[in-house]
Amino acid sequence: MTRLEKVFNQKETKNKVLVTYTVAGDPNLGSSKKILNDLIASGADILEIGVPFSDPMSEGPVIQKAHERALKKNIQFKDILNLCKQIRIKNKNVPIILMGYMNSFLSLKNKLAKELNQAGVDGVIVVDLPYDESKSFFNNLKKESIDLIRLISPTTDSKRLKRMLASSSGYLYYVSLKGITGAELKNFNEVKNKVKKIKSQTNLPVVVGFGIKDAPTAKKMASFSDGIVVGTKIIDFIEKKSTPKISNFTKSLKKAIN
Amino acid sequence: MKYKKLNNYAFPDKEGRFGEFGGKYVSETLITALEELEKVYVKVKKDKSFQKEVIKDLNDFVGRPSPLYFAERWTKKLGGAKIYLKREDLNHTGAHKINNTVGQVLLAKKMGKKRVIAETGAGQHGVATATVSARHGLECIIFMGEEDIERQALNVYRMKLLGAEVCSVDSGTKTLKDAMNEAMRDWVTNVEDTHYIIGSVAGPHPYPEIVRDFNSIVGKELKIQSKKEFGKYPDIIVACVGGGSNAMGIFYPFIKETKTKLVGVEAGGSGVKSGKHAAPLSDGKVGVLHGMKTYLMQDKNGQILSTHSVSAGLDYPGVGPEHAYLRDIGRVEYQSATDQQALKSFHDLTKTEGIMPALETSHALAYVNKIAPKLSKSKTIVINLSGRGDKDMFTVAKEDGMTL
Repeated sequence: MTRLEKVFNQKETKNKVLVTYTVAGDPNLGSSKKILNDLIASGADILEIGVPFSDPMSEGPVIQKAHERALKKNIQFKDILNLCKQIRIKNKNVPIILMGYMNSFLSLKNKLAKELNQAGVDGVIVVDLPYDESKSFFNNLKKESIDLIRLISPTTDSKRLKRMLASSSGYLYYVSLKGITGAELKNFNEVKNKVKKIKSQTNLPVVVGFGIKDAPTAKKMASFSDGIVVGTKIIDFIEKKSTPKISNFTKSLKKAIN
Repeated sequence: MKYKKLNNYAFPDKEGRFGEFGGKYVSETLITALEELEKVYVKVKKDKSFQKEVIKDLNDFVGRPSPLYFAERWTKKLGGAKIYLKREDLNHTGAHKINNTVGQVLLAKKMGKKRVIAETGAGQHGVATATVSARHGLECIIFMGEEDIERQALNVYRMKLLGAEVCSVDSGTKTLKDAMNEAMRDWVTNVEDTHYIIGSVAGPHPYPEIVRDFNSIVGKELKIQSKKEFGKYPDIIVACVGGGSNAMGIFYPFIKETKTKLVGVEAGGSGVKSGKHAAPLSDGKVGVLHGMKTYLMQDKNGQILSTHSVSAGLDYPGVGPEHAYLRDIGRVEYQSATDQQALKSFHDLTKTEGIMPALETSHALAYVNKIAPKLSKSKTIVINLSGRGDKDMFTVAKEDGMTL
């Protein structure tokens, strides 16, 4: 059983999964490592670690600035892999997912899957790699048992979803809104209906992300999904130099969804 | 040279690719919008009444066909090949960019979109988009890098006069690529009622095809004009390349005419060897940005490098995927010209012919300035004079150490 499968198997005990997103190297590598370990200690079940990119097209202003802060520290892909290794040494169970843009992953060429595996990474999310373009990338990752986590959006129709599900693994990430990270989430019922539809077509777990900024929203979203992703709000604490507040915030989310 | 293949040249393919280049590297949310655009475009491409509507606007609103002008004095001065200029600078709004926006705004209307957005570097595409939006009564938002807003103040004001909202983009390098990021962010948020008018042969499929097709009126006219003017197709066609829309427009109808040499000129900035340039075809690596696989200026971690060019319109780290393909198969030769060479040609053409070219176009002129004297007088060169230089007067004055 993979680490991701183990985490989602808690479903039997009806526990919902808390996924956190932070950017590697924000505000610097040392703090980044400490923040990630604190997140695990406060209840994060899966770590999504952002790979900073010069042109983060799907991000709102808060996460854009996180990418810029990390790049100012001149963070390299090998630093990110090292960071993952260090997390993995301390914690054998928490799934680590790298989330980023295609050009960053391409920079490792054919060594990518192997390097990810050696660093203890469980899966990747590539924001600008839709299903249509992902065949060879998916197959290469598969060789090293790295999951390619698919993003599903409000505009994905059921025919397309069916095709996507045929080559999906790990879990599915439902993007709750048409927009960028950190945007305002308006229509709960629409999200609920869409997630229900997806779940009727697959056994893979579905987590909901984008626009979840507080415990009450997290609770609502978790009520019909397998878990939630929170990113912007955590990074907001980093931007405001109040990282000590992250722990309590994370604990409050964990409590709210279960 | 793999010219044998060119008789069947039919790109992009079904996957939206030009060889390995192109594709649709966008977030899941945008896929539906791209598929809708593709479906509508395939339909209107064959729809005679739609094409008629485009041609009518190109004639009556833009002022086409643009003349093919013999630059007699400049030819004499250089003392070699005969030089002709395809006068896209005489179009309404002063550049080739309007050929694309006239078509795309009709596409937007066909899809029932009430709002259009666009990115702009030099401001020419922004002005061309604002112009057609005014003409059709659509809401128009233009994204422009903070640095470009400063160096192209005249065009910013023009867009505002035309009723467009100009959004200043202060992220990243504050230039064209960041304006495109911001336009993508707006599009993903407002995808249902908004059409994104990309201004170059760049971005995800089907944009490189659509923008090329609408601009290919330039090459189609040149085929007729060159036969009439000197009884054959040109020996060489030269165009500047940033994203590459004016170049694709004039090259495309000539791709199978292999006797005509095609040359694209990139922005060499302070020189390709200096690293301070915007010439991904001369000094870039294959990667993915803005929805397409193409040559990019990037570091070993895949971070996009900041570019440098005196001309805002060429200041872009990528290039249209069809150019990447044409480079690799050797059908088009890609060269570069430096800031200084372009500036010199700007002055030369202005003084010799009474035509003030855009700084972007001046890069193509600089290349011709170099090769024309070495060619025989029986050879003909056509330059796509893609835009006029009024918008660049402040930049040129500054480079010349003057204050206006």
